[in-house]
Amino acid sequence: MATTALSPTTESYRRSWVLEWLTTVDHKKIGVLYIVNSFLFFFAAGILALVVRSELAVPGLQFLDERTFNQAFTMHGTIMIFLFVVPVLSGFANYIVPLQLGAPDMAFPRINALSFWFLPVGGLLIFSGYLFGGAAAEGWTGYAPLSNYSSGVGTDLWLIGLLLVGVASILGAVNLIATIFKMRAPGMTLFRMPILVWTVLVTATLILLATPVLAAGMIALFIDRNYGGSFFDPNAGGNPVLWQHLFWFFGHPEVYIVILPAMGVVSEILPVFTRRPLFGYRAFVFATIAIGFLSFSVWAHHMFTTGQVFLPFFTFMTVLIAVPTGVKMFNWMATLWRGSITFATPMLFALGFLSMFLIGGISGVMLAAPPIDFHLQDTYFVVAHLHYVFFGGSVFGVFAATYYWFPKMTGRRLNERLGKVHFWLHFIGFNLAFFPMHMLGIQGMPRRVSDYAPDAGWTLWNLASTAGAFMIAVSVLPFLVNVAATFINGEKVGDDPWEGNTLEWATSSPPPPHNFDKLPPIRSERPVFDLRHRHDAEHLAADVTVSEGGHS
Amino acid sequence: MVPPEPHTNEAKEVFWLYNVVLVMGGIVFVAVEGFIVYSIIRYRRRDDRLPTQVHGNNLVELIWTAIPTVIVMILFVLSTITLNSISARATTPGVTIEVEGRQFEWIFHYLDSDTDPANDVRVTSSFIEPGTMGLPVGEPVRLILVSRDVIHSFFVPAFLVKRDVIPTGDRPPNELEFTVSEAGTYAGQCAEFCGDLHARMTFSVQAMSRADFDAWIAAIRAGATPAPSAPAGSAVLKIAADNTAFDTRGLTAAADEPFTIEFNNQEALSHNVAIYKGSEPLFNGEFFKGPGTISYVVQALPAGEYIFICDVHPVPDMTGTLTVE
Repeated sequence: MATTALSPTTESYRRSWVLEWLTTVDHKKIGVLYIVNSFLFFFAAGILALVVRSELAVPGLQFLDERTFNQAFTMHGTIMIFLFVVPVLSGFANYIVPLQLGAPDMAFPRINALSFWFLPVGGLLIFSGYLFGGAAAEGWTGYAPLSNYSSGVGTDLWLIGLLLVGVASILGAVNLIATIFKMRAPGMTLFRMPILVWTVLVTATLILLATPVLAAGMIALFIDRNYGGSFFDPNAGGNPVLWQHLFWFFGHPEVYIVILPAMGVVSEILPVFTRRPLFGYRAFVFATIAIGFLSFSVWAHHMFTTGQVFLPFFTFMTVLIAVPTGVKMFNWMATLWRGSITFATPMLFALGFLSMFLIGGISGVMLAAPPIDFHLQDTYFVVAHLHYVFFGGSVFGVFAATYYWFPKMTGRRLNERLGKVHFWLHFIGFNLAFFPMHMLGIQGMPRRVSDYAPDAGWTLWNLASTAGAFMIAVSVLPFLVNVAATFINGEKVGDDPWEGNTLEWATSSPPPPHNFDKLPPIRSERPVFDLRHRHDAEHLAADVTVSEGGHS
Repeated sequence: MVPPEPHTNEAKEVFWLYNVVLVMGGIVFVAVEGFIVYSIIRYRRRDDRLPTQVHGNNLVELIWTAIPTVIVMILFVLSTITLNSISARATTPGVTIEVEGRQFEWIFHYLDSDTDPANDVRVTSSFIEPGTMGLPVGEPVRLILVSRDVIHSFFVPAFLVKRDVIPTGDRPPNELEFTVSEAGTYAGQCAEFCGDLHARMTFSVQAMSRADFDAWIAAIRAGATPAPSAPAGSAVLKIAADNTAFDTRGLTAAADEPFTIEFNNQEALSHNVAIYKGSEPLFNGEFFKGPGTISYVVQALPAGEYIFICDVHPVPDMTGTLTVE
């Protein structure tokens, strides 16, 4: 009988690369699958955004009937949130977190694969409504009782698909939490963990606590629709506002689920490109935890106009959450101050994040005041606000992460010239598309309308917004060309092209399947920085907590 | 960046609050963006020396935790004062209107002081001919917001306010009060996504002096004619709808004679039957949610080909040809 030697030097079984990627349990390959899958859904949902913006460019219905329009914005929102922003950040977490912890893999590699493979299945189920009489058309928030009464299986497929995606999120969160608590390398205490790991830890906790509530609501809605339940149907004794409570009890933590990891990415990139440690590491960690706690007490600020929530409480908690967010902003600013700043593409996107997320934060505080919310709720102002948070915040963070870790994943750096073209087109297109929406909302244009009156005075801003949307679409082209060209024949840049701080830069690029042959000593949150500067005794001596003179 | 000119007493307070908050936000915006731009220009890399490695400072952390705390507490206090002021209720409103939102039209039911419902005034509308809500200027107006289908939202941008119109079943509906300060015509529309024709669920508000308002009500009361009844023996056309589709794509009627359409809506969705010549509406049946049957009386039509369609779902499956001969 033949025996198999269990030595890593033995040549592994030869398998086709297709089979290898389909069956992999390696967190790095799964991370790449997450990212690629998410970008495919990003492009699909982006095309839907172009459809919506084309229809709204000028008054009148030019291309679509109302129902097709409603399906387009519903699918755009659903796919962008659930199949792009959340999973693409999970993908980076999957790839980077074990490396930053000095771990060989995630805690549960098979569950990791399972939670990924639910995603494309769930996403395709959501989209498949188009094949069976029409996709869901109730908005990504799926408000009852509209979603109770709508006929067609599109909404049922939407519910089932989202339930699968929700299960995937929960499994992924369990896996990340277990990995962070149990798989850290010797010396990696909690307060030596990279900031990205901290933000992922809080994010995973939010997912674990919030997603089951949404799942329960979705199951209840499915029962309402198919088995004569009456959770939300007022004509059968149900309460439609209950759906809003369940949805937003999940939905507001969800905002932080997509912004916290992006904040983590930015907090990794700023120190590298300023060559300074993140100012106030512990304050930043506590601010992240505070945001996590507060995010569960602000959900009803989405419901001020229902007339059925206690306004002062939710106003107070909502403005309070601006405080830890402000602390983070100050810490980022202080990291820039007196740094030695370079402007590679990851840094440009990180700075884009700071400047754009600020606008989303300010408009969010404005919306927190109920009298102002009574005017702006459900208008384009809210659409502008959420895109400054999700797109100006999270998506800028996603692109920063892509440019920053692409050399880690492939050993090749994305072309800087194309990267800068991408950034500037993206930045200008983004503001052209979404800043005018503030004006539209303030003037009273409701969201989710397929058309508007020619004499409403909204045409110019709508036209500008549509032009911006197409500019964003154009900006993606240099990105795609860049990824393809770099993958085939990009500049090989060695293991640590950015002079990184954290452990992922201590191994080869791309890393071997087992991640590390050896680890540097871990004495701070920047072990690779410490290794690089171990002979600079004077710098280490200056490594103390001293005042540089306060500023704000 | 400034809302429409406010036209109610309450909206003027919201307008003031908005401007205060906008200025506060503007100062934060300029300060932070200015700091970022200054830093990245001033501290761009000039040589390969390592900058001083400062890890933090507890005193400045404390200071910049306090700064946003103070700002948001000011905002909270201002917001709460304004909220209490605009939420104040009148003991006797000048007029009370039951506003019903339904897919996809508004009905304004003026509740009279006397108990005889025959004296009530009801302004109906459709999305093709949106209705007008007349209001007196300078008197508190109370709206009772009811819905029997899905959630809508009553929104008049010039009043800087919206309130959701929720199907509450047995529970009390939402109410909204305001006092219009200037006469004029103001656009309004549904602000909560409510289905296919959400965008077309508009209305207008006509605010006028008390005397004009009384005359306006009287005119509507005088003009409220009963629905025409079909002459005995007129033809009855039968049509049914299910799964967002009519059961027939062709109907035939006699020329120059009124007729009745007996419309059997078999599903819990709003449909109607409307008749068009080209794009000109000749008859728009009342929207009607099934299952159930409704009879429409259609006036006499000259011979020719017409289109019949469901206004709620103008899809091919709910379109057909009406031949009048």
